Amino acid sequence: MPLLQLISRRLLQLIGVLAGISLVTFLLVHMAPGDPARLLAGERASAESIAAIRAQYGLDLPLWRQFLTYIANLVSGDIGLSLRFQRPVIQLIEQFMWPTLFLTGYVLCLAVPPTVALAILGARRPGGIGDQIIRLVGIAGLTIPVFWLGIMMSRFFGVSLGWFPVSGYGTGFTGHLHHLFLPAVSTAIWLVPVLTQSLRAALIEKTTADFVTAARAQGATERQIFWQTMLPNAVLPTLNLLGVMVAFMIGGAVIVETVYAVPGLGTLMVNALLGRDYYVVQGLTLVFAVSTVLITLAVDLLTAFIDPRVRF
Amino acid sequence: MTGLENGKPPLLDVRDLSVTFGAFAAVKNVSFTLQPGEILGIVGESGSGKSVTCRAVMRLLAAGASAQGSVALDGRDLLALGEDELCAIRGRDIGMIFQNPASHLDPLRRIGQQVAAPMIRHLGISKREGWQRAVRLLDDVGIREPEKRARSYPHEFSGGMKQRAMIAYAIGCQPKLLIADEPTTALDVTVQARILQLLKELNRKTGLAMILISHDLGVVADICSRVVVMRGGEVVEQGPIDEVINRPSHPYTKLLIDSQPGRRTYGTTATAGGSAPLLDIARLSVTFGAGRSLLGGIGGDHSFRALDGIDLTINAGETVGIVGESGSGKSTLARSIVRLNTPSGGTIRVDGQDVGTLAGDALTAFRRRVQMVFQNPYDSLNPRLTIAEAVAEPIWRHGLADRQTARKQADALLETVELPRSLRDRKPRQLSGGQCQRVGLARALALKPQLLIADEITSALDVTTQAQILELLVRLQRERALTLLYISHDLSVVSSLCQRVYVFKAGRIVEQGVASEVLTTPQNPYTQALVASLARLPTERTAPHSQSVSHHAT
Repeated sequence: MPLLQLISRRLLQLIGVLAGISLVTFLLVHMAPGDPARLLAGERASAESIAAIRAQYGLDLPLWRQFLTYIANLVSGDIGLSLRFQRPVIQLIEQFMWPTLFLTGYVLCLAVPPTVALAILGARRPGGIGDQIIRLVGIAGLTIPVFWLGIMMSRFFGVSLGWFPVSGYGTGFTGHLHHLFLPAVSTAIWLVPVLTQSLRAALIEKTTADFVTAARAQGATERQIFWQTMLPNAVLPTLNLLGVMVAFMIGGAVIVETVYAVPGLGTLMVNALLGRDYYVVQGLTLVFAVSTVLITLAVDLLTAFIDPRVRF
Repeated sequence: MTGLENGKPPLLDVRDLSVTFGAFAAVKNVSFTLQPGEILGIVGESGSGKSVTCRAVMRLLAAGASAQGSVALDGRDLLALGEDELCAIRGRDIGMIFQNPASHLDPLRRIGQQVAAPMIRHLGISKREGWQRAVRLLDDVGIREPEKRARSYPHEFSGGMKQRAMIAYAIGCQPKLLIADEPTTALDVTVQARILQLLKELNRKTGLAMILISHDLGVVADICSRVVVMRGGEVVEQGPIDEVINRPSHPYTKLLIDSQPGRRTYGTTATAGGSAPLLDIARLSVTFGAGRSLLGGIGGDHSFRALDGIDLTINAGETVGIVGESGSGKSTLARSIVRLNTPSGGTIRVDGQDVGTLAGDALTAFRRRVQMVFQNPYDSLNPRLTIAEAVAEPIWRHGLADRQTARKQADALLETVELPRSLRDRKPRQLSGGQCQRVGLARALALKPQLLIADEITSALDVTTQAQILELLVRLQRERALTLLYISHDLSVVSSLCQRVYVFKAGRIVEQGVASEVLTTPQNPYTQALVASLARLPTERTAPHSQSVSHHAT
């Protein structure tokens, strides 16, 4: 079964990638300017207390032994202690992760159906009036900066009309839906045009594909041709693009989360950076890298599921 | 026409069919009829409107085209039908197969599913039943292990198998009419012969009527009972095949028949024999390594031997042909001679010099002596250069003249290959395939080579253009005392042009000898199969051809 072979091969490769990621995140903190021990101890600490902290955190050991300790800790799920909150980083990330994941899923739900609809509409008559309008509006959506749109929407829908809350995450599923609506919409507004352009181009290319002509010659209706032949063949580039975008959203939700004060990973990242909370930054980098890898893996497997030609 | 003679109503009656793309009329007032159980051939060159005619019958034309006239299938005018009624007829009453089976199969779905889809759609059978019938159909069209192969995807099939699958896909609902648009053009000759045999058997067993579109009069003559000859969107002649071929009334039909390879011999000048060999190849092997995977190295040796111990000599002034099917290594040989591929063993000597050890000035001098013309005339010319620039480029690049003089020489060369002056400032895309190939020839001749390697230079061209290019080649060879290595998949072209022939199969030479002898009395079983699969005009059919469908595709 080539599909199973592919999965096992990709999982094997994953080990190497994860090792690389952990090395880079480890070096990231050690290459950051400043002495972590001095940071921990504070500006006015004496030389003895700095040395004591160094010994306590194992910072006096050779680099490779520090790395081994780091790896051992990683394996047991320990990615350090937040200097500011004095709580394990893993707990912090777990707490802040859900709003971001919820937001990402929300954006997907809001972005994918209009993408498919608009791409079909545009590809039906390339260069027609509908296609032109979709493209112009799409370009407008792409060029409006997210932070500006966010501020405008929160002022208008949140403050003036009072329809949606302008900050926080809410409680319960409907609460989340209500609170995250504006952030999700403002993200979807630039995501939809990107995906639409990609899917539209692929669909137009497939309308003239030989196998579409062949399907037509076999008496398939236009509807069957579209759903069974054209869309599966056209969807792959867009699917890959979507994967990149989702990974980007998990790591790059900073702006939207800051504007709408969503307690997500982006907010945590900004606060950790401002507070020089190095172990939180390290932990987040690790999480972002791993989630990117996992999403890429998921997209690749989905691609292989759709397209038999890449299954080896 | 002939349809009404025996009183039966025709199955298909095309009357005054015209197709226009905007202001351009691709098909003008075409009329023909087809009787049930008959095989009708439509012959013409590219741009003659033969494919457009058949797509108009199926109503498969692009959105910008409009068709007038009438196309009646069993009395129903197809041009007047609505989309729903059309879908009920396509695939049910009319099946269609295409030139390139690889691009006409959906790459994402299993062969069995694709073959079953029209039956499930039109006959209202269950998916399971459809699958079982698909497996039976695949068996019928000669695919080995049909149950296993039905689960395969198109990319796991060879070209011949894909075309068999396409045929199964088209005949599943037992249509009354099968339209075959150049069904064998993309296939090797031995595979072509088997596919034609399969179509003939289908016609004989089930009475399936067919329209066979082809540029190859030989193929049409092999299988059809009547033929329609098209040119420039019009029917120039039609009638029973024997009549058209033996007593063609239209000059174009005569030209088409005369252009058939093997119909004429091009009087290549025989060599003053005994001279030292110009090209001497000894025990040449070329190996391609397979792509290594990241964790690979477990699966053992995946390398592929494209050439395996080739011995070959060409004397100065000789014309030598190499024949073989795709993958036989003939192009690899050509590329090895001009050092585009690195041999893994053996030697190539030109005039006694080992080509592999050449470097610096000696290599440049060698490049001048050996020139190559490539298969695809468009891809082998720089699209940004005018043709005069393209021909001049090698002259000044090799420092034989300054750019100004090179341009003048290029003009002279274009004249030599019979290209009108007015074309000299055109880009390759603005030329026809035949004109482009003339440019390719002129460019190769620009350096006054001794040895010219022609790799399938006519296989992308129409048959009349092919005949012209071959004549030009012979004239140039005579005038310039060229030594010619002519590579082709077409045994009849090679044997009419060359003095000696080497037959390649899977990287080895299976037969060699004087061209006419190889063609008439082939010794090796493979060469015999090759000769037998030549689709030639009936008047000169010599070799017995009977290959049953049970020769499974590979």
